[in-house]
Formats: sequence, structure tokens, C-alpha cells
Amino acid sequence: MIKITNLEKFYRTEEVETIALNKLSMEVNTGEFVAIMGPSGCGKSTLLNILGMLDDPDNGSYVFNGVEIAHFNERKRADLRKHNIGFVFQSFNLIDELTVFENVELPLIYTGVSSADRVKRVEEVLDKMQIMHRRNHYPQQLSGGQQQRVAIARAVVNKPKLILADEPTGNLDSSNGNDVMELLTDLNEQGTTIIMVTHSEHDARYSHRIIRLLDGQTVMENIMV
Amino acid sequence: MFKNYIKITWRNLLKNKGFTAINIAGLAVGMASAALILFWVQNEVSYDQFHDKKDRLYQMYNRSVFDGKMWCWGTTPKVMRSSLKQDYPQVEQVSRTNNCNFLFTLGEKHLTLAGNYTDPDFLTMFSFPLVKGNLKTALNEMKSIVLTEKTAKKLFGDEDAMGKTIKIDSVDYFTVTAVMKDLPNNTQFDFEYLMPWTYLEKVDKQVEKNWGNNSVQTWALLKPGVTEAAINKQVKDITRSHSDIKDIDVFMHPATKWHLYSKFENGKIVGGRIETIRLFSIIAAFILLIACINFMNLSTARSEKRAKEVGIRKVVGASKGSLISQFLGESIMIAFFSGILALIIIQLSLSGFNNLTDKHLIIPYNSPAFWLISLSFILFTGVLSGSYPALYLSSFIPVKVLKGTFKAANAAISPRKILVVVQFTFAIVLIISTIIVREQLEYAQNRDTGYKKNNLVYTFMTGNVDKNYKLIRNELLTSGAAVAVSKTSAPMTEGWSDTWDYTWQGKQEGAKIDFNMYNTDGSFTKTMGLKVIEGRDIDAEKYPSDSLAVMLNEASVKIMGFKHPIGQIVKNGDNKLTVVGVVKDFILQSPYEPVRPMIIQGPKSWFNVIHYKLNDKNTTAQNLKLAEGVFKKFNSEYPFDYHFVDDEYAKKFKDEQRTGTLATLFAGLTIFISCLGLFGLATYMAQNRIKEIGVRKVLGASVFGVTSMLSKDFLTLVGIAFLFATPLAWFGMHSWLQGYTYRVPISIWVFITAAVVTIMISIITVSFQAIKAALANPVKSLRSE
Repeated sequence: MIKITNLEKFYRTEEVETIALNKLSMEVNTGEFVAIMGPSGCGKSTLLNILGMLDDPDNGSYVFNGVEIAHFNERKRADLRKHNIGFVFQSFNLIDELTVFENVELPLIYTGVSSADRVKRVEEVLDKMQIMHRRNHYPQQLSGGQQQRVAIARAVVNKPKLILADEPTGNLDSSNGNDVMELLTDLNEQGTTIIMVTHSEHDARYSHRIIRLLDGQTVMENIMV
Repeated sequence: MFKNYIKITWRNLLKNKGFTAINIAGLAVGMASAALILFWVQNEVSYDQFHDKKDRLYQMYNRSVFDGKMWCWGTTPKVMRSSLKQDYPQVEQVSRTNNCNFLFTLGEKHLTLAGNYTDPDFLTMFSFPLVKGNLKTALNEMKSIVLTEKTAKKLFGDEDAMGKTIKIDSVDYFTVTAVMKDLPNNTQFDFEYLMPWTYLEKVDKQVEKNWGNNSVQTWALLKPGVTEAAINKQVKDITRSHSDIKDIDVFMHPATKWHLYSKFENGKIVGGRIETIRLFSIIAAFILLIACINFMNLSTARSEKRAKEVGIRKVVGASKGSLISQFLGESIMIAFFSGILALIIIQLSLSGFNNLTDKHLIIPYNSPAFWLISLSFILFTGVLSGSYPALYLSSFIPVKVLKGTFKAANAAISPRKILVVVQFTFAIVLIISTIIVREQLEYAQNRDTGYKKNNLVYTFMTGNVDKNYKLIRNELLTSGAAVAVSKTSAPMTEGWSDTWDYTWQGKQEGAKIDFNMYNTDGSFTKTMGLKVIEGRDIDAEKYPSDSLAVMLNEASVKIMGFKHPIGQIVKNGDNKLTVVGVVKDFILQSPYEPVRPMIIQGPKSWFNVIHYKLNDKNTTAQNLKLAEGVFKKFNSEYPFDYHFVDDEYAKKFKDEQRTGTLATLFAGLTIFISCLGLFGLATYMAQNRIKEIGVRKVLGASVFGVTSMLSKDFLTLVGIAFLFATPLAWFGMHSWLQGYTYRVPISIWVFITAAVVTIMISIITVSFQAIKAALANPVKSLRSE
């Protein structure tokens, strides 16, 4: 599904140039659950952003589903993104002014799903995430675990092929964290490819494969059994 | 998607009530001010543009050189009409107008009403529709009269006026042949009734053939297809070819330019009303812009709060375009609420604005065009104020904003700072202009008139006043109502006639010098309180030869080049007039212009007005009561009518006073809107820097220190605005003052005052929030982080 080759990304300020990704190459197959680990500043979030088409690489190739997209402009990337990728963030990133239902509905609006279909699909996914009873609440009225469920519901409502999770349990206690990991595992078992950035060895153990980064390069890959 | 936008906009508005209120109030005040000005502009540009034949209608104008300067004027000889009709096949119709003022008597009812004499063609040339009567025949009979609906109502109440008879000036009986719809509020014509020209000819007792007497207005309707350039070539010589006046060119001034382009310099149109309209349109645009800038600044200042939403929307699939339309939708929604509020403000302030501008503007609620234009106006305001924030907000990069590392830049030159400078530059320009307009007004008001206005009253000579003048004069004096009486040709505040017909010994051959003509029967200097510089006043009772005496003013003596003016002979046609006195210059016409040369002729001339100086031993009320008794006794059919010269003189400042009041109003509004924005920015800034303030206070900063730190940035911007505003205002006001010969110099104090005022207002606006932030308990602000 994903093949990146010699990917490079630099951050420049007036005085210094930082290399975030240094000729990084890797592959992720459809249906895989991959964890990316490494110390702060090793480039894992940069990698995730490029994989999620939120950011573009300075050099190298990124092939997504057989299409080279490294040179895509923002509009094309946005279009590809909204049909194929769901995001889960550490800080949930729900819109405070929208209710649970409306937050989950948002991706469907941007992909042009009809109103009746939207209701059906949002209800379906809320049911699955067991937060149907909170559908008319605002994010501030929910616990952290509930908020992350809403965020996951929003990530999967469009039935994406790939879910990118950036430390999804980072702001949760262990019990809520485990619930979230179970949810991601379920989704993966149903066929969704998942790439997750994490600091937690515990969470990484849910994945099939761990890619360890240091200074923008792969230093080790562990296959989980 | 649309529903989602509305929902989130609505919730955002409710969540940030303070900002919403500032945004909506600021925009509403800006929109209301701009709309009021646009109403006014619309009324001005529509003047006399409702006549169906406006593209073929012209006013006859003259052009000639006096004292080396080319002048244009719109009064013509009466006889021009017949010549136009006979000799110019390109001209379809011609009519003249001239003012008249008559006493209307209907049973016990006596009313003095102002109207126009005109030719029958007037009604078919112009589009003043009749309610009753026939356009083509209404003014055919000498004793027919056309009343406006309002006049008909004044005279006959709800009864039908058609065919009724009215007594005019206790002399003649007129029959109402038509009732005209009241004149609209956008015409230069101003009459309560129309009378046939034939009646003027009867009253005048002479058929006017004199091409040198320019006293009436002549209007021409050209045949279709005749161009202005073509007809102007033809009519140029009309005066020359009919008289021995060889130096007057005649031309036609088109109806489309009557109101807006009526200022001539060196024989060419150089503008007129259009200048004021342009100026006001610019002011309207700027006030609206300033209100929009508030919206832009507050929206972008609060962008950090919206950044997360933008990031999320982009991540879940929003394109930049859909975000731009979302934010534009928000600003249009706010503009819509502001528009409703603005309409309420306009409705509430319209009568005051009408008083101020001397207009009768109304909101045309029933006109679909009005609602369409209003909606477009709202849409325009929404897009204008929302486009920059929309572009700014929609360009956020989700990676940055979602990581929480996003902080809006606090650059040395940011668009927000530039916008604040633009706002205050305009506000300061208006403040400086207001001060200068008011100074100029005061300067002219304080100019010495050269005579004593106080307790000086005049009454027009109507009915039997002329016949009984001597009796009236004597009784005014003996009754104790007045201490001096003088019969004159015109009120002391108006120049009614002028001529270049005077000759004297030493006058240069061919020189054309125009003099104001003024007549008195005597006691002139005593009644008016004028200073006699040389010689004496005209007094025909003491010196019978004074019937042909004249007095000169200083300007006349100078221009005529007399070293010893007393005893000099001045000729006017066949009359030889002897100079008996010289009076100090006094202001007859514009208090902004130098006094023009003037010749004051003795009793053998014509008279229209009685001036009398009230007795200051009595109260004004007592004097007027006595005077009324005298006039009633000798002119019983006419109501006693009087005018105080000082009131009439004050009217000369009406235009400048209005300009001053409007400038003050607009300056005040601009400052208000700008400060509203500044207040919002200060509030936001104080909230944003609350942690910094906390840290500083913990480290020992004083309240004053923190307050001045927070205020400093804004005051710097106001200071920069002042630097921009000063040359702009100086340039603008310098050219405005060029329109006045007597003008106030622009002093440095004007700028200092404006600077102090602006800075004081800004300090008050900003420091309120700054002090509040500085006084807050740092423990709270630091813990909440």
C-alpha cells in the first residue's frame, strides 16, 4: 500500500538546518498494523504527517496505492486524503463548537455524502464505539477516553483504507488507553491498515511490526509474533 | 455543509459575546453612516434627472469678461426667449422663470406665498405632473394659476381647488386652472404656484426689450438629435446680433449638469456640487472601510482560537476553498445582523440627519430596488470585511496548528498593525479637518461687517407701503419704535443688482468694471451704523439736489482712482450723479470675499425694502408691537412681516456650519469605530498575554509598568498614523481654504490639539483593558495555564 524511498525532509530556520528525515525508506502492506517508535525529535511525527499527506517531502519518492504522490499539490493531496486516510491524535482534536454527532459527521460532509446517508453512517459508527448516548454532547462534556472514541469514530466514519494514529493513548489513563488500543486492533482485523506513532512499548505490542527511528533514519525493525 | 457552517458560526457568535457585540456594533455604525451618506449622494445626483426630456433640456447662460476675469451666469434678458423661438429652428420650446411673492387672500385667510412666473411651455418641457388640469392650457390665460397640492391644501383645505378664485395682492382675481403634484425633494425649482408670464408683463407695464438687463432664467428644449456643441455654435452670438452689447457670448448648460457641475472658471465648467459629493463618497467609503478593518483585525487577532478548527477541518478533508467560503459565510452573516441594526440606526437618526443636511430623505421601504441594493450592500460589506480573515485563516497548515506549536506572529509590520494605522490616519485627518473648518467659520463670523447689525430690522415693501412710506417712516420714529429709518433697494445682507454701466472721468477706455448697485432715500449711515469717511450721507430733504447724489464705498474710490472723490461726477446712462460721501467698506454679500466696489444711489431710484433701527430704550417686543401697529395702519391687508438683519447675516454661514457639523459628526463616528476596534484588540491582547503579565508581576513589575507596556504598542501605531495624517490633512484643508479669500491660516496648534485629543482617547480606550490585566492576581493566571 505504501512505499517510500529515500525520503528527505529538512526544517530550516535562519541559523540552522535540521534534518527531520534522512533518506528514509520503508514499506507498509495493506492490512498491516505498524508501530513507529523512537525518541523525541527522531522524525516520527514528520513521517506520519508526510504519510498522511499533511506535509510534503523535500526529496524522495512516496508511492501510495501505486501512485507517486510526492509531487502532488495541496488540492490533490487533500482530495486523496479525505477518501483514504483517517487520523487519530494524542490531543483528540475535536471541534469544541460541534456536538459529538456533528464532529463525526464532518468528514462525510467534505466527501459529499448525502444528509440521510450521513445520519445512518454516523449512528452506525457511534454505536460501534459505544458512545451513541453522548451524540448530542459537546467535547468538553466528555471524559478523555470518550473524546478519543469520538475521534476514532470520526477517523473511521469514511471507511478509510489507512488510519494514522499519533500517540492515540498519550492523554489517557491505562484503562482508557487499553480500550482505544482494542478498538484499533478490531479495526485492523476488519481490514484497515494502521500506522501508529507511540512512545509506549505496551501499545506497540498491539502492532504487527515496530519500526524504530533515530535521527530520521530506520535503525531497527521488529516483527511481532 | 451550509447548515454546518451556519451552526458553527452561530455558536461562535454566542460563545464570544463581547467580540460579537463589538463586531456587530462597529459594522452597524459604519454601515449606517455610509448608507446615510449614500442616501444623500443618491438624492444629490438625482437632481432634476427625473424630467423625461432631461437629455434635451438646457438653461441659457452668458459668458463675458469683467475686470480681466471671465465670468459665467445663468440669468438672461427677458427678450431672449422670443428670439430663440423665432430664429432657431433647432429649439423646440422655450420658457422663462422669475420669482414672485404675492399675498393670497381667500375670505379671511391671508397668506404670503412664493412662486414663479413662467411661460405656458414650462409645463410640457419639464416633468412636473398635474393632479388636475391640462398641461397644455393651464397657463394660457393671464389670470390663471397653477397650485401645488400643498398650496391648494393650505388655501382650500380638503375642498377641490380647481376653478376656484383667489385674490392676489388685493388687486387681481386668479382662477385655479391646475393642481400640480408637490415638487419632489430633488429639484432645483422651488415654487408654491406658477403664474403666467403675461401677468408679469402686465404688472411691469412695459414690454422688456432690453438685452442688457439679465434678470430672468431662460430654459430651452432642443429638438431630438440637436447636439450641445452644434447649438452652442449657433446661439453664441444671439446677444451681439440683437444689441450693441458686443462682449457677451451665450451658451446652453445641459440639465444633466445643472446641479452637479455649475461652477465656472474662465468660462469653463470646473466642477461644483460634484466636489462635495466626491468628498462625501470618499468619507462614506472610508467609514465603511474602517468598520470592516475592525472586523478584520478582531478576526485575525483571535485566529489562534480558530486555528485548531481549521487544522481539524483540513485533516478530515476540507479544501482551502471550502474553508474560505465558510469564513466568508461567517462574515456575511455578521454583516447581515449588522445590516439589520444599521437599518434601525438609520431609521432613528434620519430626521436628525435631514435637519442637518436640509433634506427630506426617506427610506423607500416599498421599493424592491432598495431591498436589492441593501442586500448587495450587506454582501459587499461581508465580503470586504471577511475576505482577508478568510484567506488568512484558511491558509493555516494543519501540522503546525494541531501540534499546538502555533502562535500568531507578532511581527514589527503586520497587516493588523497597518490596518490600525490606516484607521487612525483617517480618523486624525477628520479631526484636523473638523478643527480647521470650525476655525474658518469662527474667523469669518468674527469679521467686522462694517455696520451695526444689532436691533436692525427690515420689512419688504408690499401693498400700500410705497404709497404711504413717508407716513410710515414718521410714525415709526414718533411712536418710539425706531430711531432711524431708511428705504433701500435690497436687504442689507443681499446684493440684488449690479451693473458695469457706470462711467467717470479718468475711466479707462473699454474697461468693464462691475459695481454693486444699492439705493437709499437717506438716513442710510445712521440706520445701518455705517462710518462716513469723507463727505456726508445723502439727504434729499436738506439738499434737494441729492435726488441725484451717490455715495461710494472705499473699494469704489480705489478702483475709480479718485484722489478727491467728493464732488466727482459718475454717469449711469443719461443720469449724472454727484458723489457726496464715502462710507467705510461693509459686507453686503459673502463674508468670505473682499468687499466689492459699490455705488449707493439717492432717492431717484427704485426701492423694495424699509430698514429701521429699533429703539434700544424699549424691549424688542415693545418695538415690534409698535412697528406692527404702524404697518397695519397704513397697509392693513398685509400681514406684518419683519426680518432681523443679524439673523439673516447668520444664514450666510449655513453651508459652512453644516460642513462643520457634518465633519464633527463623521470625525466622531470614525473615532468611535476605530476605538471600538482598538478596545477589542486591547482586550484580546490582554487575554493573550495574561501569563506574561503574571510572570512579570511575580518578578516585581508594577501596575503602572505593566499598563504602559501593554499600551505602548498601540500608542506607537496611533503616533505613526499621526505622521501620515498630518500632511494629508494639511494638503486637503489647504486646498479647501483656497475657496475663500478671507481664510484662517493653518496653525501648528491645530495639529497639536488633534494629536492630544487622539492620544487621550486612545489611552483611555487601551488602558482600561491594560489596567484590568495589570491588576489581575498573577496566581490565578499562572495556575490556569
